Amino acid sequence: MENINDYIIHPRQIADKSSKESLQKAIKLALDVETDAVRFNTQTFNTNRYKAVKKLNDYEELKDRARQIKEDSIQNLPALIVKLSHSIKARGGIVFIAGSKKEATDYIKNVCISHNAKLIVKAKSITSEEIELNYEMEKVGIEIAETDLAEFILQVSKEQPSHNVAPAIHRSRESISELFKRNFRTDKRLDTGEELTEFARDILRQKFLSADIGISGANLIAADEGTILLVESEGNIRLTTQLPTVHIAVAGVEKIIPSKKDFGIFIELLATSGTGQSLTSYTNILEPPIDLPVLNLNGRQGKQREFHLVLIDNGRMKMREDDDLREALYCIRCSACMNVCANFQAVGGHAFGGEVYTGGIGGAWTVGTTGSLEKGRFAELCTGCSRCVPNCPVRIDIPRLNTTIKNRLIKADGGPSFQKSFFGNFSTIGKYASIIPVLSNWVSNFAISRKLMEKIIGFDKRRSIPQFAKKTLVKQYEKYRKSTIVKSKTNILTRRVVLFADVFTNYNNPQVGMAAIRVFDKLGVPITLSKVLDDGRALQSQGLVELARNKALKLAAYLEQLIDSGKEVIVVEPSVLSLFRYDYKKLINNDKLFYKLAKHTYDPIEYINKLLIHLEVDLTNKLNIPNPSSTYIFYHAHCQMKTVGAGNAASDFYRSLGFNVSVSNVECCGMAGSFGYKKEYYELSKNVGSDLINQIRKSNSFDNKTIILASGISCREQIEDELNNPIYHPIEYLEKILK
Amino acid sequence: MQSKRDEDLIKQFIESAKSAAAFVELIPSNAESLNNSLIAATGNEMILLAEPDDLDPELFSIFKLNKNVVTEPTKEQISNIKTGITDAFCAIANTGSVCVSVTKNLSSPASMLTRQHIVIIDVNTIVQKPRDVFSDSYLEGKGLKRSFSIITGPSATADMGPLVRGVHGPGKLHIIILD
Repeated sequence: MENINDYIIHPRQIADKSSKESLQKAIKLALDVETDAVRFNTQTFNTNRYKAVKKLNDYEELKDRARQIKEDSIQNLPALIVKLSHSIKARGGIVFIAGSKKEATDYIKNVCISHNAKLIVKAKSITSEEIELNYEMEKVGIEIAETDLAEFILQVSKEQPSHNVAPAIHRSRESISELFKRNFRTDKRLDTGEELTEFARDILRQKFLSADIGISGANLIAADEGTILLVESEGNIRLTTQLPTVHIAVAGVEKIIPSKKDFGIFIELLATSGTGQSLTSYTNILEPPIDLPVLNLNGRQGKQREFHLVLIDNGRMKMREDDDLREALYCIRCSACMNVCANFQAVGGHAFGGEVYTGGIGGAWTVGTTGSLEKGRFAELCTGCSRCVPNCPVRIDIPRLNTTIKNRLIKADGGPSFQKSFFGNFSTIGKYASIIPVLSNWVSNFAISRKLMEKIIGFDKRRSIPQFAKKTLVKQYEKYRKSTIVKSKTNILTRRVVLFADVFTNYNNPQVGMAAIRVFDKLGVPITLSKVLDDGRALQSQGLVELARNKALKLAAYLEQLIDSGKEVIVVEPSVLSLFRYDYKKLINNDKLFYKLAKHTYDPIEYINKLLIHLEVDLTNKLNIPNPSSTYIFYHAHCQMKTVGAGNAASDFYRSLGFNVSVSNVECCGMAGSFGYKKEYYELSKNVGSDLINQIRKSNSFDNKTIILASGISCREQIEDELNNPIYHPIEYLEKILK
Repeated sequence: MQSKRDEDLIKQFIESAKSAAAFVELIPSNAESLNNSLIAATGNEMILLAEPDDLDPELFSIFKLNKNVVTEPTKEQISNIKTGITDAFCAIANTGSVCVSVTKNLSSPASMLTRQHIVIIDVNTIVQKPRDVFSDSYLEGKGLKRSFSIITGPSATADMGPLVRGVHGPGKLHIIILD
């Protein structure tokens, strides 16, 4: 790992992601010097969040309520702004509504100048970074002291935040030690966390005791009483808002909710979703100007308490009018979407982020507050793995926001690139390539072809190319059905299933589809094969939304016919299952049809579990492995399968058969469909994948005989790249062990 | 039934507060017991005692006579006081938190400028969840009518790498429950 303090590129130089080059440089910077600290810190937050939300016994209901409150608030925002202004004025505070960054900073500057202020203490406020407050204040000679320790570090290093909640998450203790030693002349020891904290505290305590004005942000503001919610751990927000006589709070207009009574819901969700604590050290509920004594500090005695609330629009009201981006305004900035994101865990917000806003949610915020679509280019780092979706406390569909940005960027760039067309139209390519698969495979593996592929479509030449099968699933199935007669053992009227022949399974991976057919046959459950239809998945992940929608509508209509004729649909490829149970809600925009598809589509093992529970099949004495407990299985659940609730099906199944099963807890393998094939993301994808590979290597009794199970074709490819173990789709392995 | 539920709440509160790194003791609700606990917790140093907002001031009548107690600190004193004492109007069982008012009394500096914050609560004010503090039905709306901080454990940071307790606020939180 190189040294961040000596690195050739400063994060600030590549904060603006308007160009593809700066995104590439930022990924390199992050992988070279930031990845270890980011990974450790985000994964700690992530693990703690899972533990903390488990303790909220009504977590799902709380999320529904929070979502509803935010939806209503944004809907009624103009009226809420008026109401809030009245509440604050009635208490003696002053409200200023700033349309732009400049209006906001001008106002704050004037308040400071009117108080002849020389020193401002500031609590962490991402919104104040958005309006570039520090820069504007320093221009007129007013010192701003950042008092949150992470912001204090960034003020010294001159870096932009790399995370919403922990803005210096990219820095290790060692790199902070070195930074401080270089920047401060001191005899004090600066090696342990305690020494560094005490050093910063002492500097900042002096600032607190002599500051003229305190500037804070706001987590939420209640319109009814004009109450401000400020959540923190260090205590700097308390000092900032209560020591100086003048308090200025800077907040985006989207922070307003109708009633103080609802703070309770958000307080519980914010702390658990953010840092994974039941509550952080200080949850401040303030109604300034507060009638509390002005201490005899800095000649303040006798001065009147004063409070200004600066409400900032800066693009938010436009976002509110935008049917696609509006959802981003519901964000309560907890950072769960960053901590749960496999790509973010690898590179953090200096690569997966812009000048201010970071992570999956950061794309929409960057586009919305800068008015520049290009600056949101880092949305490309969202692979659509969807792990953020069930972990967002206000249920924001973050992958959808990023698909929107990708889609708009394609249009702005004048149409899809060759690369996007290639990966988006894989089904068509597969159709033609599979006519003469041997030739296609031979051509695509030829060294010159690989170089050309990398150059023209950006298909990284270090990756093995998905091979086209000699015979498609459809052909194999037809031949198999002609030669095999199967007796049904269950009630035909109640259980009839059809295997959905998705494009990848048909052209590239027919053996998995055939395994499912044979397993269901062996279990006596009648199964047939569907037509091959493109599902739109690949197109959607490239941001080609309209094309994806057309494909999805056709397929949904076809599946509806099957379901209406009494069939359940088995889907072996998890990203396709996730389409039917999640993406299609918005893609086909027909709730009735979507819920029908979601209800009647299953992962094969998930469906077999259901048959076992209903005692419709029995696996006793059906296995050709006499002693399963001596077989070690490592199972990696596909990212989207976890999101749609089928992540544990295979591990539960094999455990119930008596196998020794270890499971991964990585959020995503890093391959994420076509993402890991692209030249510009190869290193990032491998870096993300290293987490999974390490977990497999460290699993219970791991050796080269350990059976690795993964449902996703791309997960299996990512693992096969590094390990020579036997690796199967869970249904393939079941076929092998079934008599 | 009522007392059974309260016992559970108390037990939960003590466990949660301890796991949030607070020191907790449960003592009889009288001036003498409180005085003994406070003397044991403070030692021979300057102590900032904020007038209680909700508890009966009589409870502090003995401790107030202690020579180390300051109730109106000077500028020089305020930045050097190691221990601050306040009351809390409510405590939360699930999270081990105490709710300290921000008022005319010196509860704010006593709980934010010091190295140790001793906070005193009445055993009958414990609620189950954070959201209960904001509901009309609990505390007769008491929580709704003021500025306050919900304090959960000592001031802490992980910004410098490892978890460090005691940053801008007190590194020690000592909760005394009056029964």
